[in-house]
Amino acid sequence: MKKIFLSFIILIAFSVFVSSCNKELEEPLREAYIPTRLDEKGGTWKTYILANSDEIPVAEPKAAGSAEYQAEIAKLKTTISTITPENKKAVTYWGAGAVYRWNEIARELSARYNIPPASNAEGKYPVPDATKPLADPKFPFANPPYVSRALAYLSVAQYDALVAAWNYKYKYNRKAPAKNDASVSALLPVSDLPSYPSEDAVVAAASYTILVAMFPGEVPLLDAKLAEAKNARIWGGMNVDSDISAGDALGKAVAAKVMGRARTDGMGAANNQTVNAAAIANAKAMGLKSEWLSQELPARPPMLPNYGTVQTWNFDKTAMIAMRPGPPPALDSDEFNKALDELKKIDKSQTREQARIANYWSDGAGSYTPPGHWHRAAANLCFQNKFSELATARTLALLGTAEMDAAIACWDVKNYYYYPRPQQFGLKTSVGLPNFQSYTSGHSTFSGAAAHVLGSIFPGEAEKLTAMALEASNSRVYGLIHFRFDCQVGLDHGKKIGQYAVARGKADGSGL
Amino acid sequence: MKLLYKLILVLVGGVCLHANAQMPHDAIYMNKNSLCIAATYSNSQWKEYWENNLKRENFNIGTHTTQSVMPMIAYGITKKLNLLAGVPYVWTKTSAGNLMSQKGIQDLSVFVKYNMVQTESGLSLHGVLGGSVPLTNYVKDFLPMSIGIGSKTLTTRLIAHYRHNSGFYITAHGSYFFRSNIKVDRDAYQADDRVYNTNEVRIPNATDVAARAGYYKKGIQAELFIDKNTCVGGDYIRRNDMPFPTNNMKSTGVGFYGKYQPKNIGFTIMARRVIDGENMGQATTLSAGFLYQINFKTKSAETAKQ
Repeated sequence: MKKIFLSFIILIAFSVFVSSCNKELEEPLREAYIPTRLDEKGGTWKTYILANSDEIPVAEPKAAGSAEYQAEIAKLKTTISTITPENKKAVTYWGAGAVYRWNEIARELSARYNIPPASNAEGKYPVPDATKPLADPKFPFANPPYVSRALAYLSVAQYDALVAAWNYKYKYNRKAPAKNDASVSALLPVSDLPSYPSEDAVVAAASYTILVAMFPGEVPLLDAKLAEAKNARIWGGMNVDSDISAGDALGKAVAAKVMGRARTDGMGAANNQTVNAAAIANAKAMGLKSEWLSQELPARPPMLPNYGTVQTWNFDKTAMIAMRPGPPPALDSDEFNKALDELKKIDKSQTREQARIANYWSDGAGSYTPPGHWHRAAANLCFQNKFSELATARTLALLGTAEMDAAIACWDVKNYYYYPRPQQFGLKTSVGLPNFQSYTSGHSTFSGAAAHVLGSIFPGEAEKLTAMALEASNSRVYGLIHFRFDCQVGLDHGKKIGQYAVARGKADGSGL
Repeated sequence: MKLLYKLILVLVGGVCLHANAQMPHDAIYMNKNSLCIAATYSNSQWKEYWENNLKRENFNIGTHTTQSVMPMIAYGITKKLNLLAGVPYVWTKTSAGNLMSQKGIQDLSVFVKYNMVQTESGLSLHGVLGGSVPLTNYVKDFLPMSIGIGSKTLTTRLIAHYRHNSGFYITAHGSYFFRSNIKVDRDAYQADDRVYNTNEVRIPNATDVAARAGYYKKGIQAELFIDKNTCVGGDYIRRNDMPFPTNNMKSTGVGFYGKYQPKNIGFTIMARRVIDGENMGQATTLSAGFLYQINFKTKSAETAKQ
């Protein structure tokens, strides 16, 4: 009997032990910092859409000694004294940086919406409908071109809005509440950056406006994020109400202007499937033996075949055509056979390291895509280097516009040459096959552009970034969905695209 | 020579034969110091699967097949305490689409089974403790092609068994599987409707319950069973997305298990069909096993006689 009892105890103890093991995931913590540079002259930096930094007027704030401001300070102190642990958590979360967090939110939404529509009973793929974003299929299908564009507009709106905010900050020079009144106990480090209008509110409102347009099904979530982002500045004792409301109005007004460009950039025609026939005929006239065919069942129309006509940021269409890569190897050439043989070899004996690289950079369905991958790397670099909100936004705008340019230029190439994927020659894939043409590799183009732009902003990291881009490029060979030449040419093309963004950055007045 | 012949038989059996053989979930024990070597081939196929709870097929997968060969040993530490261990070699394929097959040695599992209560009336209670650990660094999140999800597991199981003198029996058991977090090749992934910026993935724990009824006497065993495997939490496959190791995979299956072992050599067969599920395929699994029992005691006794 004793033995039975003992065995029950052991069994129960073991069960309790195993079911209570800690499985919490550790994600990087992000603590607020004082920027190494405040970028005081930021109000003079060159904007993308705004004609200049005072295009949107912001009224002069009440003076520090005014009764109105003192009332705001008194109210702020009351608020700080009554915040909850939840409020504190929000303060810490947003303390990582407004641009940093909103970029992260955008990547998250991108991942969530990055699922290709399912085929219906008729064997057709319904096109996502912006007026019914939560129906099946959801709108948008946040594929790499879509995400490159969403992140570009987000970053441009944040940057232009912050340039305008910096202008007014140093024009009106209202100090932060804790600097005006020592009895305001701020929860985050307080820099000498003037607080009116609030940079956090500017970024929140600008980001909100762009993201609501890009992800129209996410209004409730974005409403909550916007409210929390603004409230967190009050809860943390960083801004008074008038800092926030002025920032909110400025951010929204700038983003509305940015959305004006978005509405007329040609995205509406990006999914024009009628362009395929002429594109195939053109590629064949140039000597293509067999064109790209969808390998999905039922055959899926190619992803945004007309995206190459969308308006670029850092160069015009003439420049784009001028740097379009030359043709890929003919399908019966030795060069082609050599590239195919390389893939056949990997198909037979892919190493675990090749699989790891392919998986690390796969950035396929359900992910924030390659532009998202590079935005994450950029946001982290800005954070590590303690960039100001403005310098972070500038970095992401240079990267974001370069990535969108890369998407446009690469899609132009893809549809120009209409080159088949390796799977049309009997190969499998360990990462999933993108449903568009092979030449040139989108990953390689995105990565070549990103590494070049970020390498110019973070010269100490340039070597590492270049190596990352090369690995991203190679990953598509290891995953068996691109020929070696697709990747090599794409990487080089990406670098050329990046050079335009770098040139813009050198001439934007930042001195960075 | 005879031993070599037997070894070859075991190996050949291994190649053409998975297992739910005499298993960590039954009430059968090896005698003290006897060793059973088994090899089981298993073939599991599905054409339809539950995407969340939507049952569908996928023309870009066609029929998905997982095959495995699992060598196993069972050893009688005492007549009431047995040790079981096995390592499957697993390979996957699809009949359509272009997803690359995966193959390799999967996880080593080790169990001890203890007969806690044995009454005269034929009622008994058994406790099982066990665990598994991946032996190779296979890709864990290339589902449905991955050969496993790479979690380390710890299992506790309680088995209640009643066997009538006639040989008819009923068994019920329930288990809890602690499953460790895993590390994947990517450093960000989507689960629980959000993006995690880490390469560590939380794997939900799991439970199973089963009821079995059958006949076991004189080396013949025939059994019908129903079982239900459920994750404790986990997320759901999104519309038209691929599965992921965090998914709350559930299946209810019914099946038959049979064993014929007149003497040292025996054979097992098993068939299971999933009748309901979520976040996984509606699999039909067939397996056949070969087993060979060595009774060291007897052998030494025989040697002594000669």
